[in-house]
Amino acid sequence: MKIKIALAGNPNCGKTTMFNEMTGSSQYVGNWPGVTVEKKEGKLKNNKEIEIIDLPGIYSLSPYTLEETITRDYLVKERPDVIINIIDATNIERNLYLTTQLLETGIPVILAVNMIDVINKRGDQINLEVLSNELGCTAVATSAVKGIGLEELISKALDTAKKENTKKVSPMFMSEAYGRLSEEEEEQIISNRYELVQQIVEKAVVKKNFNKIDTTSDKIDKVLTNRWLALPIFFVILWAIYYVSIVSVGDATIGWVENLFALLQEGAHSLFSGLGASAWAMDLIENGIIGSIGAIFIYVPQLMILFFFLSLLEDSGYMARVAFIMDRLFRKFGLSGKSFIPMLIGTGCSIPGIMASRTIENERDRKMTIMLTPFIPCGAKLPVFAMFISLLFADHTWIGPTIYLIAIAAVIFSGIILKKTKLFAGDPAPFVMELPTYKLPRLKGVVIHMWDKAKSFIKKAGTIIFAACAILWLLQNFSFSGYVGPDAIDQSILAQFGNAVKWIFIPLGFGDSWAAPVAAITGLIAKEVVVATFASVGSTVPIVFSQVTGFGFMLFTLFAAPCFAAIGAMKREFGNWKWTFFAIGYQTGLAYVMALLVNLIGGLIFKGTDVVKKVSLDIGLMEQASEGDVVSFNIVYAIFIAIIVIGLIIGIASKIRSSKDYASVSKAVASESVASEEN
Amino acid sequence: MMPLTFLKAGEQSTIKRILDVNDTKKFLESLGFVVGSTVTVVSKIGDNMILNIKDSRIALDKDMARKIVI
Repeated sequence: MKIKIALAGNPNCGKTTMFNEMTGSSQYVGNWPGVTVEKKEGKLKNNKEIEIIDLPGIYSLSPYTLEETITRDYLVKERPDVIINIIDATNIERNLYLTTQLLETGIPVILAVNMIDVINKRGDQINLEVLSNELGCTAVATSAVKGIGLEELISKALDTAKKENTKKVSPMFMSEAYGRLSEEEEEQIISNRYELVQQIVEKAVVKKNFNKIDTTSDKIDKVLTNRWLALPIFFVILWAIYYVSIVSVGDATIGWVENLFALLQEGAHSLFSGLGASAWAMDLIENGIIGSIGAIFIYVPQLMILFFFLSLLEDSGYMARVAFIMDRLFRKFGLSGKSFIPMLIGTGCSIPGIMASRTIENERDRKMTIMLTPFIPCGAKLPVFAMFISLLFADHTWIGPTIYLIAIAAVIFSGIILKKTKLFAGDPAPFVMELPTYKLPRLKGVVIHMWDKAKSFIKKAGTIIFAACAILWLLQNFSFSGYVGPDAIDQSILAQFGNAVKWIFIPLGFGDSWAAPVAAITGLIAKEVVVATFASVGSTVPIVFSQVTGFGFMLFTLFAAPCFAAIGAMKREFGNWKWTFFAIGYQTGLAYVMALLVNLIGGLIFKGTDVVKKVSLDIGLMEQASEGDVVSFNIVYAIFIAIIVIGLIIGIASKIRSSKDYASVSKAVASESVASEEN
Repeated sequence: MMPLTFLKAGEQSTIKRILDVNDTKKFLESLGFVVGSTVTVVSKIGDNMILNIKDSRIALDKDMARKIVI
């Protein structure tokens, strides 16, 4: 007999931790609400007949958010055999609200009173018998993190599932869950539920320090979200993370990876020459594959360290506060504070960044965030900038930070402009977010998170980029009639393709030869491939850029359609191709216009100077290029100074306005109450 | 009667009304913001607030906070 058990409960109450414990899988768990957005299915560890479904966290079954709709539809249509309702015992009153609704679905409910260890530590007491009698369902005390009570929970759930279910779904529930009730009816139901819950809690829960509302978490919040300290503390934390992971420790790791790949190259060389492999096969393996992949793997340790710290922030519960702190700033240009996390993650890789946009309930804000996250220079774009800076702008250290500032400006500018269009018009969505309790992150959890994030990056390098490098090598060494080799690269398939499309790039100033157009397009595979293309083509064909067109090319790479993997992530999050194409069109359009403007305006300003003189890039020098040229200390300073200045301006502006606001608000409240009294 | 934003960090009050009749109000109610419940301001940054309600911490922006009348 197949049994389906659904896990339901409020966001961040430990459903996914419990799911992982029950099924032995390692789904992503995070200390912020809304980590699970889709339902996940798994089989019980020791009994494959039993299916466990992890539903997204919800506060109620009345559809307000996407997660609530998913859960409601699942419960109504699929009707699992039993629901395990996990409730956060530290916050029992709010959690039981959902329980009252779940009981109305007519599906048997088992209550898992989770985080019981925290309750015991606090010295509070929860009488499970009273709870279970009052609600009319079995209650089990559990701690998913410590593995307490899980066996009892499962055996009780199975017992219940095996019994015949005589309960039926309450008609009132159906009307409410599908929004068919009038305002008054609904309000009545809601307040009845809370009254019921309050009575139950009074009977079943004994709090040791009833009057002590100021918990440790609140004390930490008093400092970290203090009106004056919040932003400075946040910037110091961010700066420290970037300093450690990119500048100091991270930079040191680059040398190690480089040496490792040099060793691999040597090893492969001696191995294959010993085997008597032909020259072209050796070239394919050494330069085409090991060389190109090595150029990308250089960034893995840096990203791992960065991800480690970001996971630390996430698990501690601080990340959710960051959204709150940044909300005021982001609201000014049409985004929500919740857009900040995707963009912060996007500095590592756009794909997890785009995926993180799921927690934004408002559709417009979410779509805008998906569209703008790829503008933030990701780890893969750094090698491109590093190459151009070291080859063309060796003594202009301001170019690197400028790229980042232009990226931030483009996000702000796009936010403001897009909000003015019909697609994104309307007031910004209200910001409502539950903040998790601060927790001391567990090393195991942080390492799993870090690895989860790094894995996708490594996987990409190992599969798609690996294949792309091999194909690229083939295309540049073969013509349609056969092998031509590096000496006749102008006849290769790649050259013919480049010649066919280069006219598109002539207005941008880099369409004279076929190499740059090809690189711009191969960037779709992965941005690192842009460098790989220049590196492998450039050794035989001169690649010509002036400082102006080089800068234009960097901007084109920064804004143009992201790599295929990121486009795939965009498609998944948008849910349709229409929006995906719109976003790609906007990104590529902006890229084209920016590069065009740089070429035209730069060409006019610097007419006749060295800046517009086209020089052949010395690809040999590229070996010395390092992202240190881009991500130097300066850039970190530049960004922080820029954000602090913006913050100060907004702060002063809102101070001036707030006095007026207060007057209007009190007026509004007064008129509201007058109106209600008249009714 | 005054909007919640009039409270300072650390102050406590009881909810008297919730303005704005739409889905957002329902969401607030499912989070525990119902008439008669006690709400404490944990922190406040330019009228955006972190509130303690029914033992959980909820962050609200100023537009939402103004709809809760105390």
